[in-house]
Amino acid sequence: MSAWSFYISTLVVYFGVDLLSGISLNLQYGYAGVINFGYIIFQAVGAYAAAVVTLGPSGGAASFQQYVFGANLPFPLPLLVAAAAGAVLAAVVGAFSMRRMRRDYQAAVLLIVSLIAIQVVEADVPLFNGSNGLTGVPRPLLWLPLSLQGYQWAYAAWVLALGGAVYLLVRWLSHSPWGRALRAMRDQEDAATALGLNITAMRMQVFIIGGAIAGLSGGLLVEYIGAWSPDAWGYAETFVIFTAIFVGGVGNYRGVLLGVLLVPIIFLELPRFLPQIGYPGLTDSLEWIVIGLLWMLCLLLRPRGLLPERRFLARPEPTRDSA
Amino acid sequence: MRIAITKQLAIAAAVGLVITGCAATGGNGAGGSGKAPLTIAGVVAITGSSSFEGQNQAGGILPAIYAIDHQGGVLGHQIVYKGVDTRADPADALPAMQQAMATTNNIVLVAGPDTASAPALVPILNQAKIPMTAVAGESVYNHNTLPYFWRLFPPDSANGTAMMLWAQRKGYTRIATVFGTDSGSQGDLPGVLASIKALHATLVANVSLTPDQPSYLSSVRQVMAAHPQVIMTESDATTAGTFFGELKQLGGLVPIIGTEATFTAPWLKAVHGALGSSFQKYYTGLITAPSKTTPAVTAYEKAVTADKSQVPSPWQSYLSNPFSITYWDGVMVVALAMVAAHSVSPAVFNSYIPKVANPGPGKTIVYTYAQGVAALKAGKQIQYFGATGLINFNQYHNSFGNQEAVGSNGGSQPVSLGTVTAKEIEAVSVSGVQ
Amino acid sequence: MWATLVSAIAFGVVLASIIAIAAMGFTIQFGLTNVLNLSFGSIMTVGAFAAYLGLEQGINAWYGLVVGGLTGAVVTLVLGRGVFRLYARRGAKLFEMMMVTLGLGLVIDYTVQAISRNNVYQFTVLQAAPLRFGPIIVTPTQLIVIALGAAIFLALEGLLRFSRIGKALRAMAAEPSLARSCGIRTGQVVIVTWLLSGFLCGLAGVVYIINSQSVGYTTGQDFLPLVVAAAILGGVGSPGGAAAAALLMGVVTQVVAAFGSAEYSTVAGFGILVVVLLTRPSSVLSRGSAETRLTI
Repeated sequence: MSAWSFYISTLVVYFGVDLLSGISLNLQYGYAGVINFGYIIFQAVGAYAAAVVTLGPSGGAASFQQYVFGANLPFPLPLLVAAAAGAVLAAVVGAFSMRRMRRDYQAAVLLIVSLIAIQVVEADVPLFNGSNGLTGVPRPLLWLPLSLQGYQWAYAAWVLALGGAVYLLVRWLSHSPWGRALRAMRDQEDAATALGLNITAMRMQVFIIGGAIAGLSGGLLVEYIGAWSPDAWGYAETFVIFTAIFVGGVGNYRGVLLGVLLVPIIFLELPRFLPQIGYPGLTDSLEWIVIGLLWMLCLLLRPRGLLPERRFLARPEPTRDSA
Repeated sequence: MRIAITKQLAIAAAVGLVITGCAATGGNGAGGSGKAPLTIAGVVAITGSSSFEGQNQAGGILPAIYAIDHQGGVLGHQIVYKGVDTRADPADALPAMQQAMATTNNIVLVAGPDTASAPALVPILNQAKIPMTAVAGESVYNHNTLPYFWRLFPPDSANGTAMMLWAQRKGYTRIATVFGTDSGSQGDLPGVLASIKALHATLVANVSLTPDQPSYLSSVRQVMAAHPQVIMTESDATTAGTFFGELKQLGGLVPIIGTEATFTAPWLKAVHGALGSSFQKYYTGLITAPSKTTPAVTAYEKAVTADKSQVPSPWQSYLSNPFSITYWDGVMVVALAMVAAHSVSPAVFNSYIPKVANPGPGKTIVYTYAQGVAALKAGKQIQYFGATGLINFNQYHNSFGNQEAVGSNGGSQPVSLGTVTAKEIEAVSVSGVQ
Repeated sequence: MWATLVSAIAFGVVLASIIAIAAMGFTIQFGLTNVLNLSFGSIMTVGAFAAYLGLEQGINAWYGLVVGGLTGAVVTLVLGRGVFRLYARRGAKLFEMMMVTLGLGLVIDYTVQAISRNNVYQFTVLQAAPLRFGPIIVTPTQLIVIALGAAIFLALEGLLRFSRIGKALRAMAAEPSLARSCGIRTGQVVIVTWLLSGFLCGLAGVVYIINSQSVGYTTGQDFLPLVVAAAILGGVGSPGGAAAAALLMGVVTQVVAAFGSAEYSTVAGFGILVVVLLTRPSSVLSRGSAETRLTI
């Protein structure tokens, strides 16, 4: 049974990490209308940041991996560094992508930015060891008197606790006056401007908070896996999380919880239990075809997800959905 | 809504359990003798851009399993193969491996893990006491101390040194390197660069190619302007096809020395397609030396042919694929170790792995599984001489042999051009690669 | 030095021609329908595979271009009228439609992967000895690619400027409701747009694979970001702008590869878009964020 315990604890860790991603995207998209197709780079920068400040000083070009900013920070500082790195990158990217522009343009621009980032990291080996990535990142607090299995579950609990804390924090934020202003901006941009809200500044705030959460999730993931390379952050990973919040329900945090459980955990793990059919790799292709179809079906039948955003009755909405 | 969530979860969980149950009972039916089958897990990239790893592996392991099962299995157990897809990504590999370990309690060998997933998987496999025949060329493992880690592939630096030694033998001193920015190619580049330095050749151009671009014309021109005598290279098949096609079209073709990873069907086919008849003249690959015709090689070829409907097409390509042959040997050694130890428990047979493979006084040399089983039954000590040749694990559980310079006419049948011995390779002290 | 620069520029023009054909198709489609079609690359792949199957049957490369183009046109029309319209009728807005195209792209790509068994297919067409013009070395194939790009650009400009349907198309892209009240048959114009942009899409796929001499299921998907970047950079709805942007990106990419490091070349190509967004966003984003409707 212990093998099951390892497997399930890993899934719990992934669930926690994906939940953070879902919260971040839901805040950005569901509350501020920003389609962050470059999400994965914010997670990646958090992972790299946490890794380099844990790995110790780099041995330079002669050692088997090279990186910048090597340091030996104790737990939990690397996670703070990860969140800060995500926030800083978001500020930089936001500086040009959060201007007023059509949302679909913005999404395309963010997608292109993420492709640039991957190519820069692969091209610039001294930065984060190029496409070989960083390995040997030690797990935090290994001196704790825990069995291997106990450590697994302790880490899972720690990730869940952080996920829960961020969940509550962000939910509280979005029910605050600030959150209401955000939704006003998303739904009626011109009206919100007329009311004196500074649209660009608010988008920027959301983008940076989302970036920090993404960075944190990356830090948690890298400390668990112990390795991080450009292979781990293809653009498909962003798509999976987007599917999750679309299936669950955009703008509804319980929906995000459900979506993250259904899509990255259950949909993506279930095929491992299926007997393999055809040539190796066919099952994988079919899996993605099914995900694509589910995604399209979901947009057709339940565009607001299984658990749609609750409408505030105080606000009349005449024709918004008939556009 | 809460009810609905619970219901959906319950359904999902139930489906999962039913499927697991089916898979478990389905597996049991395979054994002829009633003993539970043993599992060999292939832990490499089966899908994605590195999916050739999975093909190389299936091409060697499936025939090995076929051959062993047709000899009555291992101690009465049949063997089954289970693919564990790493997608060349440690984050995907971890749950995939753990899921396999959770649902299969009889994994006797992990064929893998690959370069990308090794950092995440090697520790947990060692912890779970599962022997692995790693495909990870990282030089970190040159001084491995983990008991369950075994490596039959040469470290990346050995391949690079062999390439440079071969270039030296041909009198080339001006070298250009052309490597993809993908992780496989980048993993092999440091060994090549360090060997160029160690053997005092001149690196006239070091070009990196972002994979799958529509054109590499400027890079082609950069290489041509540097006037190299030879190009050392590795990249994925598509990128190589485009780059060398453009190089030829612009009239800049010079001899090409490829890493072991270039000697695989897709790469050979792509570059042969791009170069046409010039291919045979210009291309040399440095690969793990195929052993001369021994009964081991004959047994391998026979098994691939017999199992041709199971391996990914084209089956002929595995007859000479150095990766596939190495996988075959890995399975044979582990199977014989189990027979010698009279046990299918890894904790028991793991230490028998070098005992059935390494040379030693008074040992009977065997070339096939059947010969090995017969000799062991007769109470003899054995040395399995593999289809890749001599296997000799050192104290770090590494074994690698000579490297062979081979040409190709576009098919995957190697045409031997000469040998670079393991001794020569070890004599070159390469620095800069740990 | 000069020789390197001149030849890099020449290579840039080759690359630009491939990008431009696709970007012109993309920009016409996007400009009129307002669908930011992320399955455009997948349809390029389908067109490329169709042409490849034709080439394998022994048809010549010119027919291959036609086969690819027609395949792209038909697939695009079917998806446009069948799938996208279904969503538009159910109230999907701009970005929801983009999400739909993303899912659709996934379905198409992986269907092609499943059918092609994840293989990359190589072939040899139109190969001949290179020609030299001073420092510039080009192959006849590359000259054909450049000529095709230029010809398509001119034909498209001519169509949009001088033909009835072209004028109607431009009018509709600028002001759909006004165009409708002026008696333009919008349904017809939309069909023509799907067909025309789909044809260019499929054609671009074939030109791409003729240049790279290989085709795989990621062919179009890998190429799409360059196409989208050129379309946005050139100002949506403007084939001339897309062609100019493609030229700029192509030349910068190759010059960087020739003088700097090749691995940064695509980064530099995309970087132009970011720089322009930073410095002169209004030139790129000619239309504000005001409610733009889908026209499907």
